[in-house]
Amino acid sequence: MAEGYNPERREALKILGAIGTTCAFPFAGDELYGQQVAAAPARKFLTQPEFAMVSRIADLTIPQTDTPGAVAAGVPAYIDYVVSTNKGFQELFRSGLAWLDGQRFLEMSEERQIALLTPISAAVDAGKDDAPQEKFWRAMKGMTADGYYTSKIGLVQELGYSGNMARSGFPECHEH
Amino acid sequence: MRAKLYDVVVVGSGAGGGTLSSHLAQKGLDVAVVEGGPKVNTRTDFNTHAMPFDFANRHIPTMKPGKPGFDSERTRGLGGKTMLWNAVAWRLSQRDFKGRDHDGAGENWPVDYKDMAPYYDMVEREVGVCGNLDHLEDLPDGIFMPPAAMKCSDLIVQRGAAKLGVKVIHVRKATLTQARRTRPACHYCGNCMAGCDVVAKYNSYDVQMVPALKTGHLDLYPDSIVREVMISDENRVTGIKYIHRSTRAEGEVRGRAVVVACACAQSAALLLMSKSSRYPAGLGNSSGELGRNFIPHFTGGIECFLHELTGTPATNDEGFLDHAYVPSFMHTRKRDYARSFGCQFNYQNRRAVGWARTLPGFGKAYKESVKARYPAYLTFAPYGEMLPNKASYVDLDYDRKDEYGLPQARRHVSFQENEKKLFAAMNQWGVDILKSAGAEIHSVGPEPRTNHELGGCRMGTDPRTSVLNQWCQSHDVPNLFVVDGSAFPSASEKNPTLTIMALAARTADHMAGRFKKGEI
Repeated sequence: MAEGYNPERREALKILGAIGTTCAFPFAGDELYGQQVAAAPARKFLTQPEFAMVSRIADLTIPQTDTPGAVAAGVPAYIDYVVSTNKGFQELFRSGLAWLDGQRFLEMSEERQIALLTPISAAVDAGKDDAPQEKFWRAMKGMTADGYYTSKIGLVQELGYSGNMARSGFPECHEH
Repeated sequence: MRAKLYDVVVVGSGAGGGTLSSHLAQKGLDVAVVEGGPKVNTRTDFNTHAMPFDFANRHIPTMKPGKPGFDSERTRGLGGKTMLWNAVAWRLSQRDFKGRDHDGAGENWPVDYKDMAPYYDMVEREVGVCGNLDHLEDLPDGIFMPPAAMKCSDLIVQRGAAKLGVKVIHVRKATLTQARRTRPACHYCGNCMAGCDVVAKYNSYDVQMVPALKTGHLDLYPDSIVREVMISDENRVTGIKYIHRSTRAEGEVRGRAVVVACACAQSAALLLMSKSSRYPAGLGNSSGELGRNFIPHFTGGIECFLHELTGTPATNDEGFLDHAYVPSFMHTRKRDYARSFGCQFNYQNRRAVGWARTLPGFGKAYKESVKARYPAYLTFAPYGEMLPNKASYVDLDYDRKDEYGLPQARRHVSFQENEKKLFAAMNQWGVDILKSAGAEIHSVGPEPRTNHELGGCRMGTDPRTSVLNQWCQSHDVPNLFVVDGSAFPSASEKNPTLTIMALAARTADHMAGRFKKGEI
């Protein structure tokens, strides 16, 4: 919701917005009813090394706990798909991942990986997105959250959403 | 068959066109409904119960594969927006109809509450509206089925609001809480806005037009995009010209009267497009007011987490989306702006977790914080009334044509001093109510966004400053009518659909009487 108001980010959020924003606030507009994109096979844009890097960051963002993490939920393929549909995302990911590759990110220990990402994440949480790494992190984390929490593992197993139930009536609240 | 001269040609099949056409057909008039979109089967064609992970982009399409409809911003399809609406159904109050008399701003309606009340009764009886009798001056009670119980989260907000002297009431919706004729009661699956596959939620096609088709007095012209309302040298409209949606063939439907009811800005656009030597600036636009006085609702939107529910098991209580409402309470309080606002809340769909993007951090703690907040997440959306101003209007963009070669409707919205004050107040009240209910505020929409398009062909008593009279009849052309949100001279803060339906029922009554007397 909040991110939809920054005009600079509007373009980048077109696809992300189709999932969260409109459903949370159904009044957001009829224009999104038309946003249907055909189903896609895995890995459409990212190279194999890029895909590995995205997989690693996704699992650091949403790791396996008592439920599976982002990679097990198919988040990297979802991110690859979303990135493949938008030129802005493609540039952002290509350069962001190249920067991480230059840091030899995949060769680092988990502690060092987390240490590298923590200040970037904190800057983004504080509302910054000036640096390319910040822009990349904002998009990467957003897509990871979207991909995970719209997956069956994320939505049903982790969050406990039961899908649609047919009720004979709406139950009174009994907890008070 | 198709060269038939109808009594009435209705453009559009939503709350306005659907109600009006079915009422006229039931009264024995021959009616044609021309709808830009296809016929949709409510029970089979919508993706009502799909999950996001069924789709590569995780976005659930409105329609099932191979089922056309509702594929453009114009929401084309038989039933119009009633197929996908949230069914909130308020009556406007006398203060809404005569707002100018109360605070000197905006415009009065040419009707009073007592003129509309019988028609509110009529449509509530006809379609079924659930709600509670609340005895509020600014939100008249109606003829209601029992309301749906409030969610636990609603009760938390209600207790918080009560500390500030603000009421939270049961929502009123045109959704059945008890079975009725061929329609079952709501089963609370939470997907009202994805197309109700059992028609517990009202839609104009299944509830009104299907029964009206049995009279033999109603013909449907789906997939027919109206490009012009035709007018004769005698200053009478004679029918419409359309383009077929798939074949692009052109056709005409002729009638003794024409009703335009194709969704507010689109209705204004169709009349603006219908230029003639008598009306070079658009049909029925001798006042120059056509397209003007565009007054959509505006809202911000607050996202929050209710502390009482943080860390509890998933609630799975989508119900029929919002079960409660904060009715306008500022009409009678001291304030530095005209008019008021009402708040819809708790109508988030739990299949969408977009707020997780902006929750801080990453890793295990982040994952845990999303899970803890999932049952506590709540959206809160105050809706404010906009006053008409010169800079807010609908016109045609001849540089941007649609795939049928028709100019696009262009909406100009300018928020003035009153809207800015009202917007600040409704955000502040929203935050205060939620904090009083023990909520962690996640986001506050910093800019107003429009919704519920209203105005553009407003009713009024003065032909120099309005497009329609109190019967939704053109001041200029006696057999031309406009029956949808565009007819509203002032918006109120309340969701408009029930009033559109009541206006349509009232106009149908009036038209049938005029036909009987041979006046049309």
